Amino acid sequence: MIRSLAAGLCLGTLLLAPVASHAQTKPQPKAEVIHWWTSAGESAAVKVFADQFTKAGGIWVDMAIAGGVNARTAAINAIVGGNPPTAMQFNTGKQFDDLVENDFLVNMDSLAKSEKWASIMPAAILAAVTRDGHAYAVPINIHGQNWLFTSNAALAKAGATAPTNWDDLFPALDKLKAAGLIPLAFSGQKNWERGLFNSVLAGMGGGEMFTVFWGKRDIATIKSPQFRTVVDTYRRLHNYVDAGAAARNWNDATGLLIQGKAGMQFMGDWAKGEFSAAGQTPDKEYGCTVLGAKSVSYLMGGDVFAFPKQKDPTKTATQMMLAGLLLDPATQIAFAQKKGSIPVRLDLDTSSLDACARKASGWLADPKTQVPANELLSPPALTGAVEDLISQFWNDPSMTADTFIARLASTMAQPF
Amino acid sequence: MTAISTPSGRKPKHTSTGRIGLYALLLISALFFLTPLYVMLVTSLKSMPEIRLGNILSLPQHVTLDAWFTAWSSACTGLTCNGISVGFWNSIRILVPSVIVSISVGALTGYTLSFWRPRGAKLLFGMLLIAAFIPYQVFIYPLVRVFSQVGLNNSLPGIVIVHTIFGLPTMTLLFRNHFAALPMELFRAARVDGAGFWRIFGQIMMPMAVPILVVAVILQVTGIWNDFILGLVFAGRENLPMTVQLNNIVNSTQGERTYNVDMAATLLTAIVPLVVYFGSGRWFVRGIAAGAVKG
Amino acid sequence: MKNPMRRKIGSRVPAQIALVPAVMVALVVYCGSTLWTVWISMTSSRMLPNSNFVGLRQYSSLMGNERWSTSVSNVLLFGGLFVAASLTIGFLLAVLIDQRVRAENLLRSVFMYPFSMSFIVTGLAWRWLLDPTLGIEKLLHDIGFASAHFDWIVRPDRVIYTLVLAAVWHASGLVMAIMLAGLRGVDTEIWKAARVDGLPVWRTYVSIVIPMMAGSFATAGVLLSTSVVRLYDLAVAMTNGGPGISSEVPAKFVMDHLFERGNVGLATAAATTMLMTVIAVIAPWLYWQSRQRAAGKLT
Repeated sequence: MIRSLAAGLCLGTLLLAPVASHAQTKPQPKAEVIHWWTSAGESAAVKVFADQFTKAGGIWVDMAIAGGVNARTAAINAIVGGNPPTAMQFNTGKQFDDLVENDFLVNMDSLAKSEKWASIMPAAILAAVTRDGHAYAVPINIHGQNWLFTSNAALAKAGATAPTNWDDLFPALDKLKAAGLIPLAFSGQKNWERGLFNSVLAGMGGGEMFTVFWGKRDIATIKSPQFRTVVDTYRRLHNYVDAGAAARNWNDATGLLIQGKAGMQFMGDWAKGEFSAAGQTPDKEYGCTVLGAKSVSYLMGGDVFAFPKQKDPTKTATQMMLAGLLLDPATQIAFAQKKGSIPVRLDLDTSSLDACARKASGWLADPKTQVPANELLSPPALTGAVEDLISQFWNDPSMTADTFIARLASTMAQPF
Repeated sequence: MTAISTPSGRKPKHTSTGRIGLYALLLISALFFLTPLYVMLVTSLKSMPEIRLGNILSLPQHVTLDAWFTAWSSACTGLTCNGISVGFWNSIRILVPSVIVSISVGALTGYTLSFWRPRGAKLLFGMLLIAAFIPYQVFIYPLVRVFSQVGLNNSLPGIVIVHTIFGLPTMTLLFRNHFAALPMELFRAARVDGAGFWRIFGQIMMPMAVPILVVAVILQVTGIWNDFILGLVFAGRENLPMTVQLNNIVNSTQGERTYNVDMAATLLTAIVPLVVYFGSGRWFVRGIAAGAVKG
Repeated sequence: MKNPMRRKIGSRVPAQIALVPAVMVALVVYCGSTLWTVWISMTSSRMLPNSNFVGLRQYSSLMGNERWSTSVSNVLLFGGLFVAASLTIGFLLAVLIDQRVRAENLLRSVFMYPFSMSFIVTGLAWRWLLDPTLGIEKLLHDIGFASAHFDWIVRPDRVIYTLVLAAVWHASGLVMAIMLAGLRGVDTEIWKAARVDGLPVWRTYVSIVIPMMAGSFATAGVLLSTSVVRLYDLAVAMTNGGPGISSEVPAKFVMDHLFERGNVGLATAAATTMLMTVIAVIAPWLYWQSRQRAAGKLT
């Protein structure tokens, strides 16, 4: 027993030895970056940043961990444990509030000033990385969350046309249903149920109602007749999903459009990756649009890089070096092409992006269309509690709209 | 490996109807158990366009091993596209010492609790039993704080200690139950002969615990090999286990998904526990027989 | 309980030294973390723990949380069915395999392989199989049974049973191994005696063999129970708690609030509640067991 214990310890030390020698740092600036971009398309995107950093003389140490929760768990525990990474990905929004409050992140004010962030990016995105007037992260891209994708094959089969507004939506869905197709491809997981709700809320209620709902939690708005219309529309959409929706991943729902089995899907612009992996292109095999009320309300989410504070000043210099590369115009375009998002800077020539991204860039030229996404407006704890409610409402036909609205109001009133 | 030990059930009456019924039941059960494996296997042998057609139960029209090669050596798991092979040796380096240390501590604790019963032994056992029920994720944050205080975070010894901590309740239970089943006279006789604590443990009790040891190895190899979150948080970025790559392939949220590669990667990752598992199958059953019957 | 014989025997110093690691783990990790968890559950902690005391606020919001109450009733239903079904199926498989069948090793391996795989992807395989538009229901429709229904995974009132199904698939091979070993520990003389008495086979199993295997059932039962309380991966991989909140479970509630939702206060309140429940069940059982042991009913 003792022997095996001793053997175990010896073996442990033996195996450890090579690691220790590897750990010696080289003089080149080295950036450890934690992110959750792991699929083929995402890998190509992160490579754009890595290549730029390497070209500038640095060494990119990639720490990809799939699943935002997993990556954030690893990163936050590394920070708390005293071994912070050089940079870490967050979704644009409130995920890093507590890190700012605990003074874990490097202030980015100088970069924001020298790169004139205020004049090149949407105000809501800049606000999302700003706390008490100071910037604490570098925005990287903008993902649109409320796209409506349409399968041209399915629409043609049903004799329907792609809707451009909410009034056209239901007749088109009815035609698809009559033709024996799945009208609305859906994946019944909580976050997508919330995503669909958000698409309806922003699209029918408008950007202002969306912002008030998630950001100000205004009870009067929740009890207004306009909000009631949103809730009814959301419920009505449930008639157009198929039986398999509840057990499906979002990408399988997109797959139904690719095969022409389903007509439409509400999803973020990352769904384009599935279409292009299957060899389909926008405005040819599939269509993409955002349904709006008076004008389009484009729900802007996306990603940022945050830079945890370091003890070693040379590491802080490395962080500033990396941060300074991210908003370079050519890098921004190349990243957006690979990622399926649009650049966070609105002052770039987007003609090399795909048709959907070009539409988005066009819309965003008008500040009225710029609507901050859910994550930018509410803390994860509140988002989660509301998400549970939305999910219950979607899946339980016996819950009336009145009950739903009443419970939303009481959830919103809780401290988060 | 024909007989584990002689089957002790009632001798079969060779009425053919009964036997046919028996085999029919076993066959149906086997089919139930194999169905998910079948789905995973055929999916891993299909191409993505074929998978998109959506018939999960059909045999592949064109069998291709591409997904298996991709999963092993070229699937993207971030910036690098080297498949799950990257973390294989890290996993082995975590696995071997973790299994050895966790079982050693568990066996020693079980032995001490069964035979020596020092003051507070029952309380300790009760605490370990309760700890077996706690979802270990709850402990991650306080453990990270403690480990960073003592400088164990992000290191191989760190992850070995973490696996020892979380394996302790089950391992102690197994060995305690096993030793409790042995006759106390054995222990007393050894004491009378003048054997001390360690000699009784090393020369008398452990040789009698070989079967339960194999059980412990199998449980720990399976658990530690499949662990993801502990390795991610405690092993440090140089030592990330293979399951991190597996997760990177399987769990991307917004990127496009390749199910054939997912399935192949999972089947590949399962090979190590399966080899250990099947290789020691005969000992496994004997081990349980020797120990766990006591309850 | 106090054995004078044992008291006399020599020094306990090595024994106390040997327990140092276990005692340290129990005190520092289990007790320390538990106290920390209880403390944090009384703060307003969000993504990172803080020390802003709010009393029992997290508990009152937990009690009013419908997802939590659903999780609790789900895990009770799941646990009861899962433990009962795994024990029964594991035992029956062991009995079948114990009838001197051919290819015993192969069959045993087939029943046990699910245990060695993690749920990340096996959960997906199950989800596909149970998906009415992809899996078994579609197969039945394709071969002509148009009215066949197998859509429990998408029905909020039935989905929890599909989790039981996959969990039983995962665990009953291990139970079978434990039971098989137990069966082989039964003295062959008992079978002979039963046959002489003309007892039917099933009666022999029910009234003689099963009572003799109480220990095997207890071991398997404890192992299965721990996995009930810790049930998380399967729920995430197969249904992610859905449809709606209909297949949520307590461990997933804790994990989601701890990490994804950055609501550490509520998560630790839920974890504390789980822990107290486990203690409330186990402590009397341990006490009862040690009384039994003292009375000589168990060694």
